[in-house]
Amino acid sequence: MDIQEYIASGILEAYLAGELTAAEMREVDRVADNYNEVRIELDSLRESLIKYGDVESKAPDEKILEGALDAITEIEKQKFLNVLNDEPEIKIKRVNIVPVWTIAASILLFISLGFNYLFYAQFKSTKDQLASLESNQTSLANRVSDSNQQLQYAELRIAHLMSEDNIHIKMDGLDLAPEAFANVFWNKKSNSVFISVDNLPDPPHGHQYQLWAIKPGLAPIDAGIFDHSQLVQELKVIKGEVVAFAVTLEVEGGSPIATVDKTFVKGFLKKS
Amino acid sequence: MTSSIENKIGYLLAESNKEAIELVFIHYGSLLLNVINRVLRDDAMSEDVLQSVLLKIWQNGHNFDPAKGALFTWLVRVSKNAAIDKTRTKDYRLTQESKNGVEVVSIAESIAGDDDMESLYAKQLIAQLPEEQRMLINMSFFEGYTHKEICARLDMPLGTVKTKIRTAIKHLRTII
Repeated sequence: MDIQEYIASGILEAYLAGELTAAEMREVDRVADNYNEVRIELDSLRESLIKYGDVESKAPDEKILEGALDAITEIEKQKFLNVLNDEPEIKIKRVNIVPVWTIAASILLFISLGFNYLFYAQFKSTKDQLASLESNQTSLANRVSDSNQQLQYAELRIAHLMSEDNIHIKMDGLDLAPEAFANVFWNKKSNSVFISVDNLPDPPHGHQYQLWAIKPGLAPIDAGIFDHSQLVQELKVIKGEVVAFAVTLEVEGGSPIATVDKTFVKGFLKKS
Repeated sequence: MTSSIENKIGYLLAESNKEAIELVFIHYGSLLLNVINRVLRDDAMSEDVLQSVLLKIWQNGHNFDPAKGALFTWLVRVSKNAAIDKTRTKDYRLTQESKNGVEVVSIAESIAGDDDMESLYAKQLIAQLPEEQRMLINMSFFEGYTHKEICARLDMPLGTVKTKIRTAIKHLRTII
């Protein structure tokens, strides 16, 4: 194809003037696609004509464009409003997605709180039981300890009772406490004196029981103060001819002179 | 191979961008109005149709297929169809009847309103074109006359009209 001849034929002007049929226009397009010269010529022609139209006030009124753009804006606005009208469905979907997590988290939280309360209650109960057991254990231990002590006292008293070296004197209650009684073991070899506090009333506050050895024609001899709570105690060493032992109530710390009218129990040695 | 402005408009149309319409109006508006006026022979009505064509182009931009021809070819087809559709309306028929068969020659007189210095200079340059050449350019590209109509009006053979139009444009291009 002779391109210059093609261009010179005036077909491109006819193309831009709208003179050609649709088929003829497509043919020009095909040639322009294949021959760059034709494309350039076509563009150049069009630009020259547009410029001429602008200068000669042949260009279409700007109001035509404004009118079209207004119409487009209106259509876009309607589309936007339609989208907004459809929005609730989307919102519902979004809301549906979020609560799935919220509900699941809430359920887990409540289950967790429930288990926490349950475990805490069990823990507290177990702790109380443990404290109670510890208390029982202490109480039991104390009782065992007491029992052990009483057993030791009992064994000691039996030992004193059984010992052939001991002289056993049973002291019976007098007028102040007729139910009271106590026992004294006096070792003949060592002259040691033991008292077994069997049944004496609790001494009033600030007072204490005191054992006395009674010899003929003499004032009672101090054989020692003793602790009312201890069953068997070793007291002082007493020598000489003793006829009787007696327990008086004295002020705390004991007294050098027996308060005879406060004698609770008294027992005489058997005459051998 | 297509021109860069056609490519740009093609892309913008594909994404329904309003800028495509502005570019079509700037680069093809005159030519499309001419195509429409060739059918309707009525300036005001042609302008209305051009406005509706711009809207159609924006709405149907996704139908434009560069493989089937250039953008201008598609624009011309849409414009011609819109103009032909217009001829079938009652509005068009009433207008035609009011003209009562009288041929209306609508050569718009150029009234320089807010022209700046540059366009005044360009106007002076174009004024160098002989009156006949300006008339041929106006009739063929801006006033909707077919070549045959020009032949009849100027009483010239078709070949002469085509040659004179081509000469006029060559002259125009040497000026601007």
